[in-house]
Amino acid sequence: MSALNTRVSLLALACAFSSYSAMAEDSSLTNPNISAVLDGYYQTGDRPLAEREEGFGLGETELALSANIDDNFYGKVTAVIESADGETELNLEEAFIQTLALPSGLSARAGRFLSDIGYLNNQHKHTDSFTERPAAYRAFLGNHYFDDGIRLSYVAPTDLYWTMGVEAFSGDSLRAADEHGDRDFDDVGVFTALTKIGGDIGIESSWQLGLSYLRNENGLAYAEEHEGEEEHEGEEEHEGEEEHEHSHSASYTGENTYIADFVYKWAPNGNYKYQNLTVSGEYFRVTDIFGEEPGHVEDIDDMDEHEISDDDYHEGWYLSSVYQFSPSWSAGVRYGEVDTYEIHEDHLDPQKLKETEVSLAWHSSHFTAVRFQFTHQDGTNFDGVEDDNIFTLQYVMTLGAHGAHQF
Amino acid sequence: MRINSKLLLAVAAMPLLFTATAKAELNVFACEVEYAALAKALAPSADIYSATTAMQDPHQVQARPSLIAKMRQADLVVCAGADLEIGWLPMLQMKASNPKVKSTDKGLFFAAEQVDTLDKLASVDRSMGDVHAKGNPHLHLDPERMLSIAQALSAKMIKLDPQNSGEYQQSLADFSQRWQAKIPQWREQAKGLAGKKVIAYHSSFRYLFHWAGIEQVADLEPKPGLAPTSSHLASLLTRAEQGDVMAVIVASYQDERGAKWLGERANLPVLMLPMSVGGNEQSKDLFSLYDSLFALLNGVK
Repeated sequence: MSALNTRVSLLALACAFSSYSAMAEDSSLTNPNISAVLDGYYQTGDRPLAEREEGFGLGETELALSANIDDNFYGKVTAVIESADGETELNLEEAFIQTLALPSGLSARAGRFLSDIGYLNNQHKHTDSFTERPAAYRAFLGNHYFDDGIRLSYVAPTDLYWTMGVEAFSGDSLRAADEHGDRDFDDVGVFTALTKIGGDIGIESSWQLGLSYLRNENGLAYAEEHEGEEEHEGEEEHEGEEEHEHSHSASYTGENTYIADFVYKWAPNGNYKYQNLTVSGEYFRVTDIFGEEPGHVEDIDDMDEHEISDDDYHEGWYLSSVYQFSPSWSAGVRYGEVDTYEIHEDHLDPQKLKETEVSLAWHSSHFTAVRFQFTHQDGTNFDGVEDDNIFTLQYVMTLGAHGAHQF
Repeated sequence: MRINSKLLLAVAAMPLLFTATAKAELNVFACEVEYAALAKALAPSADIYSATTAMQDPHQVQARPSLIAKMRQADLVVCAGADLEIGWLPMLQMKASNPKVKSTDKGLFFAAEQVDTLDKLASVDRSMGDVHAKGNPHLHLDPERMLSIAQALSAKMIKLDPQNSGEYQQSLADFSQRWQAKIPQWREQAKGLAGKKVIAYHSSFRYLFHWAGIEQVADLEPKPGLAPTSSHLASLLTRAEQGDVMAVIVASYQDERGAKWLGERANLPVLMLPMSVGGNEQSKDLFSLYDSLFALLNGVK
């Protein structure tokens, strides 16, 4: 039902925008930018926690509208059409307004938008150099974390780029598993604080470093009572759906998430047209992952391999390097790991996933990529992944007035 | 309400700031180095930063942190416009949160809005490559257009910083006088070039060729913005064999390989022209840039 409503209101919005465009004189900056992203693929296997399934499929088909609404506000709507298991669903990934005229480097954003934590999270997935987000993103942020909330940002008036931001979100998609559906979650569950600094090194190199903290009031998973069933896929948020393959929710949660990220870019003479290099990496630590439900009576006779302690944490990282060696070709390598715990009744089972990925992409213009990617997965106790090789052939193309890209 | 009172306070404090600093200290962010050079000529005491060099393709610039930091502090942003910077300027404006430079009513200045552009298109389709509906944005290599742009930019500076209008008027008068004295010299140097045919990379020198009467008979790019392909180069070789082409021309930020391949086979000189100030050793300001361009073009024989 809500999908239908969204569809109708989106249509209304599109109409509102197009009547506006008929009146406006200038054709590029003031009129709405309307764009679409087409993404399709074939792949030989499944990556755990990923959105793409084996065989032929479509990635996120994206429709976006954006414009300055007036002097004071900018607005953007991004609808994403996804199909999985023979069903097509329409989701709103972004629907936000942002201030344009607050003084002193301040800006505020409200609505549904991508959180600014980490490096990749605020980037649209079609700009990625690999078919899936790193395993750490899939495990801890449900691929990419967008939510309903508000953000306040500040950019300092310094030559060294320095920005700070705080966000508050409903946090529904980052809630811990709730097997029995009776948990009393906070309505405003997620708070973040982040800072980024960056600059240039000479004419050829640029860099950015970021630190983010995410507080998740609903992130602590509770121990189950002993009568719990053998099925322990409970970490995955089901929201009443049977299939867990296609979820945007985080699979591993905790109360506190810390992220450190960096990106370094280089181009000869600083000219990005022909050759350029991007090296980036992020580290995630998710702590306070597991606790006793309030009012729980301690069991003393537990002798399992790993008892729960306050020091347990999930961890993940990746390092990626992409080189564009001509305007038409780019190649990338990425290595990433996640070390997580699966909550099994009242003890924790350690899991590990290592991914080594190589990609090669052909670009017939800036707006297209046809990518071939190889992924080797090495898992320990991780969704049955042990030693898998996956090949993916994918295209991602954008049409319409496509907005500028972030660093 | 709180914002308004803050703004009022800022406005009230502004004269204090300006009287404290005797000299004009307009903070100028230029998208391209030619507009940084023009701003320097029109506001010698301003603090000026150029986002790109003559070695960088202004179509493809990263909205990188240093540029956000510079734009955050700018009073005036000067760009070519006509969508040349469409891939990065809007992102910088969004991230810099500086309301002073968000629109052309305020501290944003597009050179292309001050003069007529060439090659405007009624409709644009991506299959045409990287073309701009608003016309060719590389308009800084036409001396007459550049003079109009200088006048408009000076007026913008006066509007933003009326306290120092005397200084801006004086600088504009100096610049205009020197520039107008140069135009007949350049006109003289362009005489021998009129009617000459060249093969060039992109429409980078469209305005220069137009002003000098040079005809670009073919483009190294198969479509604007796309890199030369071997089949396209082969077709250019056939064209060059007609024997009427003077030279193959590339700009300082463009890849020379295709031009060299063609130059060698067609026995044509390959000329790398400075796209802007700093594009070669001789081009230290707008005057020496034009001097160098005409010297290089006239050097082909």
